[in-house]
Amino acid sequence: MLKNYFKIAIAVLKRRKFFTFISLFGISFTLTILLVLAAFIDKAVNDTYPDRKRNRSLYANKLELRGKESMNSSSLSYYFINEYVSKLKTPVNIGISTRYESTNTYVNNRKVVIDYKYTNAAFWDILEFEFIEGKAITKQQVDNAEHVAVITEALKKEYFGDGNSPVIGKYIEADNVKYRVCGVVKDLPVISYLFYSNIYLPITTSKTKFNTNKDWYMGNFNAILLAKDAADVPKMQKEYADMIAKLTMPDKQFDRINGHADTYLQGYVRSGNEERSGMLYAILTVTLFALFVMLLPTLNLVNINVTRIMERSSEIGVRKAFGASSKTLVYQFIVENLILTFFGGAIGIVLTVLVLYYINSANFIANLDLTVNFTVLGYAMLACLVFGLVSGVYPAWRMSKLNIVKALKA
Amino acid sequence: MIKHIFKMIWNKKKQNSLLIVEILLSFMVIFGVFSYGLNAYSNYATPMGINYKQVWAISYNHTLDTKSADSVTMVYENLLNNIKAMPQVIDAGYHSNNIPFSTNHMSGGLKYKDEVIYYINGYDVDQNFLKVTGATMASGRWYNKADAAQRGKIVVINQFLKEKMFGKEDAIGKTFGNAEGKDPVKIIGVVNSIKQEGDYQKLSYGRYNLHDTAAYKWMGKILVKVAPGSGADFEGKLYKLMANTLRKSNIEIEHLDNKLTAYNKFTVVPLIIMSIVAGFLIINVALGIFGVLWYNINKRRGEIGLRRAVGATGNGVSQQLVYEALVLTTLSLVVGTFFAVQFPLLHVFDLPAIVYVKAMLSAIVFIYLLVLVCSLYPGKQAAAVYPAVALHEE
Repeated sequence: MLKNYFKIAIAVLKRRKFFTFISLFGISFTLTILLVLAAFIDKAVNDTYPDRKRNRSLYANKLELRGKESMNSSSLSYYFINEYVSKLKTPVNIGISTRYESTNTYVNNRKVVIDYKYTNAAFWDILEFEFIEGKAITKQQVDNAEHVAVITEALKKEYFGDGNSPVIGKYIEADNVKYRVCGVVKDLPVISYLFYSNIYLPITTSKTKFNTNKDWYMGNFNAILLAKDAADVPKMQKEYADMIAKLTMPDKQFDRINGHADTYLQGYVRSGNEERSGMLYAILTVTLFALFVMLLPTLNLVNINVTRIMERSSEIGVRKAFGASSKTLVYQFIVENLILTFFGGAIGIVLTVLVLYYINSANFIANLDLTVNFTVLGYAMLACLVFGLVSGVYPAWRMSKLNIVKALKA
Repeated sequence: MIKHIFKMIWNKKKQNSLLIVEILLSFMVIFGVFSYGLNAYSNYATPMGINYKQVWAISYNHTLDTKSADSVTMVYENLLNNIKAMPQVIDAGYHSNNIPFSTNHMSGGLKYKDEVIYYINGYDVDQNFLKVTGATMASGRWYNKADAAQRGKIVVINQFLKEKMFGKEDAIGKTFGNAEGKDPVKIIGVVNSIKQEGDYQKLSYGRYNLHDTAAYKWMGKILVKVAPGSGADFEGKLYKLMANTLRKSNIEIEHLDNKLTAYNKFTVVPLIIMSIVAGFLIINVALGIFGVLWYNINKRRGEIGLRRAVGATGNGVSQQLVYEALVLTTLSLVVGTFFAVQFPLLHVFDLPAIVYVKAMLSAIVFIYLLVLVCSLYPGKQAAAVYPAVALHEE
């Protein structure tokens, strides 16, 4: 039966090539937009380089002090992490790093912009960076405040030139200080802003004293809390929330403190306001955009389908006259339409690959390597299905209502 | 004639309603894109207000160990003098963190004649600002050395704020207070507005305060105008000078023109993406309308043949079909305009009403043209119908 439908569908597609072209154009283009969007989201949300232990981790990036008329929001201070976060019982390890900041360095009359980040040793234990050369900063190096640095591949190329010779042990100057390179890692795109940097330095080599400011919770550090296993994560989250609730107010003008240890996704979409999660907002935006992009092509497809179906009124009349029920006809037409959408979907995937290739090679966002993977393909299939059903149901219903006598006469 | 066309459209309301909705949606899409684009263009057309070429911004943070206010002031004043003494430097001056094309903002309110105005960007600058950035005065004068004594009592505002506060009146010599109406300051000059947010963003209110010596600790930026052709070797020297003076500070040197390019991307990239998406949607819709009209005409061969047989000219028939399409469009546009008018009325986004009106008119013209183009060919086809052949088919 399905094979028959398939044959009919192909025959119909071949009949009016112009209409087929319009349909396929609409479907494939719409899917391309949605797939490129899906690839972006997938990259931002699902790419687990370098935090492979994401399902065991929580991320504490922000603290917010609120009063009646005042609000102060910032990253955490080293004092806060040391005094409160590291005394929590559930986390087995706590990685600490600063937000990345930029500076310049000058080599051979060339300017190089460097983003740097200070890290502790646990940062390297928790995150699994891919090392191309050398190894991570060790605990001993951090404790001794040694001037060592882990740099990324792109910075290596830019600073030391294109040659493939190893650079371990060579010196790199950043922020007017010389550091000995101890490792080279694969680059990250800047959208993974929690881990992104060009050069990673031991926390103890920071020029400003990082552990002064007693009793002040705000600073420029982020913490990654690692639990023993994924099952301990909710417990850890609760323990963090309890700890926040018990904090003493640092200043009279504030009456509450907001701060969360978030899962990666929660933290990623938190839109600056610590009082409510940005998850709903993010999902809503993406859904609305997808619906909006799909709306016009769907209407267009419905329009074309109605037109095409009326063209086949004699065929429908004959089938009805020989006893085919409306249900069978509707079913047949929806299947035909699904076949059409999946054709369009296949073209859409090819287009997506081309567009992603272009985006990657144009380097709009450095080191952002977008790919079509199985998750994205899954989205594509789902979108095709929705698209095909929505645009097929109304024309099929119109068709099934066709009067036999009128249909045969035409 | 029109009445007749309406009747024919009504008779096929089921099929036409889909077309109407489709045209309506296309109109809304085009209206959105045009609003965004026209707004960006009208901002682009206003002058920049500064000459950002060869202006570098040095970032520093206050990390001096000394607590004595006098020696802090001395270090920073000497530093500026040393920078100015460099051969390639034309002029230099301190600026608060919210330099042009940066994402930093510091804003507050002011009170003038019982009216409180909010979102006024406050810039802390020194007397060199005008020469460094190439900003120009609309009226009055900029700060000079002698003004140090009246610091905090005089102010320079930008033209945009002046127009809001005084309209066409002269602003020089007038006074206003902070949001609570206290600490009155006297206006000594009006500077031509600077597009702080890059080429495509709208102007904002601004007031320029002469910084005091305590401000060195938090201002964080030095703007430097350098001679044309100054390259990385000179920048390296400038960097060393900064790093050796402020040993514990993080130093970064950025070029304003690069910052502008980066900042513009916030507007340009969405516009490009929107245009590409809208462009494809419109091609899609145009093809769809074309196909449906073409098919309809093929289906109405009998009717067309009959009309030709009783004496209608080919032109008359094709005109009728084009008119039908245009009347359909008008129906959609009436509904569409109703929705579009709500945007300026309800201030949905913070765009000036004139932009919406322009966008609406151009979107209406665009959609009419689109439908006209899509219906011309099918109309021509209809004109070519031979009455004898068409009637014979019946």
